[in-house]
Amino acid sequence: MSGRKETVLDLAKFVDKGVQVKLTGGRQVTGTLKGYDQLLNLVLDEAIEFEREQDDPLKLSAKTRQLGLIVCRGTAVMLVSPTEGTEEIKNPFQEADGEQTTRS
Amino acid sequence: MSQNNPSQLLPSELIDRCIGSKIWVIMKGDKELVGTLCGFDVYVNMVLEDVTEYEYTAEGRRITKLDQILLNGNNIAILVPGGSPPDAA
Repeated sequence: MSGRKETVLDLAKFVDKGVQVKLTGGRQVTGTLKGYDQLLNLVLDEAIEFEREQDDPLKLSAKTRQLGLIVCRGTAVMLVSPTEGTEEIKNPFQEADGEQTTRS
Repeated sequence: MSQNNPSQLLPSELIDRCIGSKIWVIMKGDKELVGTLCGFDVYVNMVLEDVTEYEYTAEGRRITKLDQILLNGNNIAILVPGGSPPDAA
């Protein structure tokens, strides 16, 4: 049992907790983790998807939509993080407006 | 090995329970499909019937109706059992 590690990421501690999931293609959802498997397929309850700006798909818009109970395909999952204790910070590498980044 | 998986609800089990009922499939890109799930395999390629395909473009939403399809699992991002059509938007 102690020999080899089964998973790098132990999702057991996130079960019944809020998680945020980013998917390849840019979709982003949050919900309560209800289940998972070794391939990182996830079951989320009360899932909410954050919609993106039509003209800039990299930006999240304020709009969300309720999805309910969902399965996230493991093949599409890029990032899983607990909602609690997570906050987004300003990009420290972004120059203030008007300033031009100089690259050599 | 999988016996000590403490997970309560296996994703594959949930999809399996969906067979015969409506499902809403959200692809990685800007496509979504709503249809009746007939079956799926380990890659979650799936056979769907009475499908409505929604494609979100800059010009708006394009809708295509299809009788029966085999959907490649490669581009699936999210599955929503019950499949309420994405009409709220």
